[in-house]
Amino acid sequence: MTHRLTIMKVMGTHRSPLQLITAVAILFSLVACATVPQPPNQELAAAEMAINSADQARAVDYASAELHEARTKLAAARAAVQQEKMILAQQLAEQSRVDAELALAKAEATKAKAINDEMLKSTDVMKQEMQRNTGDKQ
Amino acid sequence: MNTPIYRFKKLIAITLTPVIFAACSTPIKPEGADMARSKLIQLQSDPQLASRAPVAIQEAELAVRAAEVPQEDVGLGKHLVFMADRKIDIATYQAHSRLSEDQRKMLSEQRDNARLDSRTREADRAHSDATAARREANLANMDTEIALQQAADLQRQIAELNAKATDRGLVVTLGDLLFDTGKATLKGGAAGHLGKLAAFLNQYPDRTVMIEGHTDNVGSEDYNLGLSQRRANSVMTYLVSQGVASNRLAAYGKGENFAISDNESASGRQQNRRVEIIIANTAARQ
Repeated sequence: MTHRLTIMKVMGTHRSPLQLITAVAILFSLVACATVPQPPNQELAAAEMAINSADQARAVDYASAELHEARTKLAAARAAVQQEKMILAQQLAEQSRVDAELALAKAEATKAKAINDEMLKSTDVMKQEMQRNTGDKQ
Repeated sequence: MNTPIYRFKKLIAITLTPVIFAACSTPIKPEGADMARSKLIQLQSDPQLASRAPVAIQEAELAVRAAEVPQEDVGLGKHLVFMADRKIDIATYQAHSRLSEDQRKMLSEQRDNARLDSRTREADRAHSDATAARREANLANMDTEIALQQAADLQRQIAELNAKATDRGLVVTLGDLLFDTGKATLKGGAAGHLGKLAAFLNQYPDRTVMIEGHTDNVGSEDYNLGLSQRRANSVMTYLVSQGVASNRLAAYGKGENFAISDNESASGRQQNRRVEIIIANTAARQ
């Protein structure tokens, strides 16, 4: 109680607590509106770069769904910038980037696996051929 | 105190208070954060993958931690969970890539071994083929050598026998020195020459032999015919005694009618007194 009384004294008036709360609320909303929103340029650039990297790794052949999602989200992020929804734009740009990075990682993993499978197959073929040859001879 | 102004102020306060409280509502852990955490734990405890993408896994760890922080803003929470989930997937794929690369060394070793094995076997096979071929060639050479040797032997033996190759076959002419005048009995010295002939005939058992007795024109024709027959017979008898099968042999007395020289001179008559042994050619041998 003493605390509240002190505040009231600071306000230097005989006003009620309701008036105080109203004032604080108005102040809050003013602060929120006062921030001038900046477009998330860094995030957008990062997303674009990630998409280009994925493209170069031929991700379209191995992870087309992820790559497509990355492109869609980058476009959505740019649209959000136009609508000055900067927080949404930043989130979309960040998601676009990880989608593209996922497409790249998936493409690389698939390619690496394909090479191994090919090697395994050629080894098997060689072994079979060898067995057939020695079988013929003996 | 119950003035209209006061009432208006009260109304505003009552309206705004819940708005402010709603904005500051109790923060909650975003939905899906727990799932992201358990997915990350699965990756971190995979012995084959955990060590293979340390940087990406660390990033995923940070993202999951960020997603686990209770958020007032539901949208932000969702965003952070999405980011965390994606980062875990990225780390997983990177670890898989690395695993494949590490396995590749082993695979290439296996393939090299298989290739080496197959080449070794191929070489062994080629080697054994070559050895077999060489052995066959050697055998063939040996056959050829034997054949050549035999041919050379034959030539030498024919030369030793004073044989002449004619259309009728090899003709060995035994002079009258084998017999005493007017006799059909072989002289002791004849055995050496006839012995070689017998050995030759035994060596080539597929050759048949004609024995022809000839005389000069001294004496009656009948006598000469009989004498030539007897002389041919005694040569045949000798050959049979040396192991030559009698069915290969035939003895003919030709008398004085097949002179090879004139009967006017002593040397001519001597040439006419003879036994000719005709050894038939065989298709197989010549």
